[in-house]
Amino acid sequence: MLQLTLLPSGQRLAVAAGTALADLLFAHGVEFPCGGRGACCACRVRIARAAPPPTAADRRAFSEAQLAAGWRLACQHRVLADIELEIGDWTAPVLADATPLAVVPRPDCGIAIDLGTTTIAAQLVDRRCGAVLATRTALNPQARHGADIMSRLDAAARGAAEALRDAVRGELGRLCRELAALAPAPVRLVAVAGNTAMHHLFAGLDPRPLLSPPYRSPHDGERVFRDAELGWDLNGAEVRLLPCLGGFVGGDLTAGLLATALHQREGPALLVDLGTNGELVLGDRQGLLAASTAAGPAFEGAGISIGMRAASGAISAVEACDGGLRCTVLGGGPARGICGSGLVDAVAAALTLGWVLPNGRLAPGRRELPLGDGLALTARDVRQLQLAKGAIAAGIVMLCAQRGIAPSAVERVLLAGAFGNYVRIPSAVRIGLLPFAVERIAAVGNTALRGARLALHDDDAAYTALRARVAHLELHRLPGYEEAFAQAMAFPAS
Amino acid sequence: MPRYQDLYDAVVDGDAKTAKSATERLLQQGVDAGELLSDALIPAMDEVGRRFECNEYFVPELLIAARAMKAAMELIRPKLAATGVQPVATVVIGTVKGDLHDIGKNLVAAMLEGGGFAVHDLGVDVPPERFVGAVQEKKPEILAMSALLTTTMPAMRETIQALIAAGIRDQVKVIVGGAPVTESFARDIGADGYSDTASAAVQLARRLVGK
Ligand code: B1M
Repeated sequence: MLQLTLLPSGQRLAVAAGTALADLLFAHGVEFPCGGRGACCACRVRIARAAPPPTAADRRAFSEAQLAAGWRLACQHRVLADIELEIGDWTAPVLADATPLAVVPRPDCGIAIDLGTTTIAAQLVDRRCGAVLATRTALNPQARHGADIMSRLDAAARGAAEALRDAVRGELGRLCRELAALAPAPVRLVAVAGNTAMHHLFAGLDPRPLLSPPYRSPHDGERVFRDAELGWDLNGAEVRLLPCLGGFVGGDLTAGLLATALHQREGPALLVDLGTNGELVLGDRQGLLAASTAAGPAFEGAGISIGMRAASGAISAVEACDGGLRCTVLGGGPARGICGSGLVDAVAAALTLGWVLPNGRLAPGRRELPLGDGLALTARDVRQLQLAKGAIAAGIVMLCAQRGIAPSAVERVLLAGAFGNYVRIPSAVRIGLLPFAVERIAAVGNTALRGARLALHDDDAAYTALRARVAHLELHRLPGYEEAFAQAMAFPAS
Repeated sequence: MPRYQDLYDAVVDGDAKTAKSATERLLQQGVDAGELLSDALIPAMDEVGRRFECNEYFVPELLIAARAMKAAMELIRPKLAATGVQPVATVVIGTVKGDLHDIGKNLVAAMLEGGGFAVHDLGVDVPPERFVGAVQEKKPEILAMSALLTTTMPAMRETIQALIAAGIRDQVKVIVGGAPVTESFARDIGADGYSDTASAAVQLARRLVGK
């Protein structure tokens, strides 16, 4: 056995000689977006002691000075001696929310849960005053069955449905137990908001309707459980799984409606949850239209040559400065890759510098977008961003057209979801991701969690009536989608 | 320098109106339809493909170029049939069962058509039986399948199995593509070829039919 010491934590691992660093470090937050082929350079680590000789891929990724300092691509190496290895420890905090809410008091406590595909946030709420007493977050344990909802649903359809259900119920049960132990009054109600896939996997429903056309499930309404049915011990508390709005527009958006009161507005507003599946709801008290747009994982850094999640070493912000690009790296230190907010910024700044043309081409003579630390975005990366932002913007344009208004008639644009809260709004506007004036757009935090909290105070579940006010649109059925998508892929000229 | 420069430019620039009017004029002047195809449209679509491969063009430019090519083809096709000009080969194409994504598939179909192939497009969500039926009916040299969802990739394997079951697997070359599809997946399911872009699909198809 050899010893691997992780810096800065000092944690020691006993490892069999020859173990691939990739196998060890994934669990410690090092990402391998290209699958460990030495192509993307995101798995940069510094081997402080006994660094192995650099490979050809290492030489491509680092300067001589960096190699001498021990910088290597983790995917290229195995443990062949006792080594000390430095990985950063910054990860994006799960968005919580403690906005005060006006509520009708109840004599007990409740727990609100945002059940996300990647992360889970749970809050203990004092229903006597609506205050948040404690928050717990966790990673969704289903992640080992796939990162995105389609692979999770597919895994469920191939026999892992019970494993997926039990994994997430177990984790939520654990969080609830921890929170209930802190409660000053009994926990009587739990409200869970999740996207359509999370809704089905938690409830143990047949995932197949969501895996084939028309991608609509007949079972996406509200579900009510007793704690014991879920294997939880909360003294008979009731657990409500919020209803979905239709198709892939899930209970997280139902909660989003509650949190933003879109359905009570006088004039049209748009709620956007920017993620792998962008979810959109447009409307006001007259009525609401919803759609999901398949953006793909570019905003999470996947499919981008140097892309990574918002974690230590990720370039999270980029500005045009002195004729070049200036980057901010999460956790300080050298950059290992770029996350979604950095990508949007970088291309926005490159447009301003004239390095990228409105049609997405790099300016003549330019081969890449250099970011420093030996990292650069490629022409193909810009194309991937065009697909992702084009899909969202086309969805927005189609929803507005369906409603019979121009995007300029939308009074407020509210950004929900983690990426929506980190992306810089002027950059999102600059690349045409959001075809609106900057002043109309605002990030509104974790509306799924806030909405679940509001649902705790809605005794007769009036929110179930929201579904009837929302018309769900299937974008592929609307004529003109292709045209709108093609147009939305271009970058605005200024 | 290609002949019929204005038609060539109109297709490369994605100007459907000019492509149509130039074709009308040239045909009226008595230019042979087969010559317009081989000396203007095919080189134009090859150039469009080249620009796509080197990241000069992207999906929007491909879509409008395809539209311009189609505007010209509408006028040329009837004349080709009348003068007995044979296509390079016949292709049946479709997006597999469960999948409604068709932008990539349409581009592949357009590039093949612009490359001189006769293309029968079965549309989206095409079950294996329909592919089999179309192969039996149209007797294509090539069957092309597209999938954009990891969850619909298995339908490609099912379609190949269905061709085998129908006893017609050896009558047609099967090529596959779409964002999640890889070379090794293609080999694994017993396809004859894979391409990662629409223009590479034309090269692949030409190679497979020996042209
Ligand atoms: C020989 O044969 C060959 C050879 C080469 C071939 C070939 C065949 N086929 C293609 N090629 C090659 O040539 C082309 C040009 O060079 C290339 O073709 P591509 O098709 O790869 O490329 C096209 C030219 C451009 N690319 C595209 O057109 C796809 C772009 C993205 C944004 C996308 C779009 C536009 C759409 N979508 Co969809 N969509 C996404 C995509 C995300 C992304 N960022 O890429 C993806 C593919 N979608 C996805 C999903 C999940 C979905 N989509 C859905 C719906 C839609 C829209 C209707 C909104 C729209 C499709 C419109 C249409 N008419 O096609 C849903 C299902 C619909 C269905 N049943 O298919 C839905 C299920 C969910 C939803 N939110 O609605 C994801 C798949 C994830 C996975 N695990 O597989 C996805 C990656 C986005 C994501 N959320 O992660 C090459 O691959």
